[in-house]
Amino acid sequence: MIEIQDLTVRIGATEILKDLNLTIAANNWTCFVGPNGAGKTTLLKSILGSQSYAGSLKDDGVEVFNNHDRNVAFVPQHPQIPVGMSVTEYVMLGRAKRDGWGTESKESRALVVDTLKLTGLYGMQNQFITRLSGGEMQRALIARALVQQPELILLDEPTSALDLHHQIAVLNKIEILKEREVTIISTMHDITLAAMYADQIVVMKEGRILLSGASDVVVHSDQLKEAFENRINVFTLDSGRSVILPNK
Amino acid sequence: MIFEKRGNRELRSIWDWRITAVAALLLLIIGLLGISFGPINLRFDQIFKTILGLPNGLTDQERAVLIDLRLPRVLLAALVGGALATSGAVYQTVFRNPLADPYLLGAASGAGLGATIAITNAHGNLYGLLPVFAFCGAILAVLVGFFISGKFFAEPNSLLLSGIAVGSFATAVQTYLQQRHSASLRPVYSWILGELTAASWRVVTWSSIYILIALAILFAISKQLDGLMLTDEEAYSLGINPNQIRVIAVIAATLATATAVAASGLIGFVGIVVPHLVRGVSHRVTNRALSTIALVGAAFLVLADLGARTLLSPAELPIGVITAFVGAPFFLVVLRRKRMVNQ
Repeated sequence: MIEIQDLTVRIGATEILKDLNLTIAANNWTCFVGPNGAGKTTLLKSILGSQSYAGSLKDDGVEVFNNHDRNVAFVPQHPQIPVGMSVTEYVMLGRAKRDGWGTESKESRALVVDTLKLTGLYGMQNQFITRLSGGEMQRALIARALVQQPELILLDEPTSALDLHHQIAVLNKIEILKEREVTIISTMHDITLAAMYADQIVVMKEGRILLSGASDVVVHSDQLKEAFENRINVFTLDSGRSVILPNK
Repeated sequence: MIFEKRGNRELRSIWDWRITAVAALLLLIIGLLGISFGPINLRFDQIFKTILGLPNGLTDQERAVLIDLRLPRVLLAALVGGALATSGAVYQTVFRNPLADPYLLGAASGAGLGATIAITNAHGNLYGLLPVFAFCGAILAVLVGFFISGKFFAEPNSLLLSGIAVGSFATAVQTYLQQRHSASLRPVYSWILGELTAASWRVVTWSSIYILIALAILFAISKQLDGLMLTDEEAYSLGINPNQIRVIAVIAATLATATAVAASGLIGFVGIVVPHLVRGVSHRVTNRALSTIALVGAAFLVLADLGARTLLSPAELPIGVITAFVGAPFFLVVLRRKRMVNQ
């Protein structure tokens, strides 16, 4: 469980996050939504522990900043793609913390092979990572996160660069983590997809949290429309599923 | 990395130790050639006999050439080449810039300024302190670069840019000093182009201490350098502190560079040519290729020095001329292919 109290993050003179208070349940999928500049990515980095902050941000009762004992996987929106590294080597980086940098244990090799098969990357394991397509790269990132066997995974816009087919494919892979009792926190600009997959949705705007709660409750709330300045409409399909579309 | 078009081959079939072993053999052969050839040619069998203390070795005069001139010179070339190539590879990884090289941080220009001050001072009584001045100049330039760029690695390129600015400033001051003391123009000029003629056991001793310490540090952290090729958040989540690794890497690489510059002047392009060549051939990311890069860098400079000594024999070419002659065209090829890397 992650408990956030009076969290404020300043970068230079700008306050990116302002006095946030939030509790995120374990073994759940929580999704941050909101317009650009709402502070979603900064909140993810704060939860990762790499971003300094004022206030308190505790993961299972322990303050997270610079705490390297936790095992948290991070999937960035714009990864730096290393040159001269094969897909296997890239996924193997997920084991670096356990095995030590530059060494590979037998279990790690077996796990990496299994994970490559699971994510559909087996067969291109010796290719250079730079040669993967957008969808394959996203799966490589998920594969690396899977072999990390994290307690918590943070995903920054995991589907933003993908077509709908690959979006669903990647989101289904992320759901594998949920079965393994991993806490999932992601940002997502597509609220319809967020509502389909996430258990909890947190609506953010200008560094503040407007609303948080169970996905179906949040999707139908007025605060969601307010966050997007009433420029969205929420429709409910016969199946009970919600679809969020911009006003025309 | 720049030869990546052949990238689909089985990576794991290339064993790192084989490439490293070939590089070590290369260094050994070139080193032997470097010891053997010069204004006076020494025969291989006689060199071995002399070193092993067997009869029928070299004459006393040849022996003096071997022990006092050739050996320290070849050793120094190997040390300097290894230091420059390794720091080049590390800078390129740390700054995520395939064109970063030991000279872009202002270290070289700082060293140049320090040396010029030593050479051009009124009575020549600082000349013996040339290495110390060069060393201080290099360290000072890098520190100023750090200071100006403010947040060290918030944006890795800002350090590169401030390094270039500091370097230009140092070069400007150096040129001014040169013009004011036109009498000492020639020694400054020859030092700037790089020379290993000053090699002696004393120089080899002090430079080997600094260079070996710096290289030991770089090899110790080389595995974590892979993590610097990811975003800082990814690196953090995979268990390393990216800024800590960067600071250690830059300090150690600068120590190696400054020592190399102090010992042998400004020898350019080794730090770019060798890392790219080795990575291109071995298909390996920096850390797994680092030992090979060091060995090939050493061999490259011993070979370049051999060329500098023999091409216009008995006159000597500055070694920087040789490395630039090979390096500049290579640099342009890298520049042209950089687009591929960025894709």
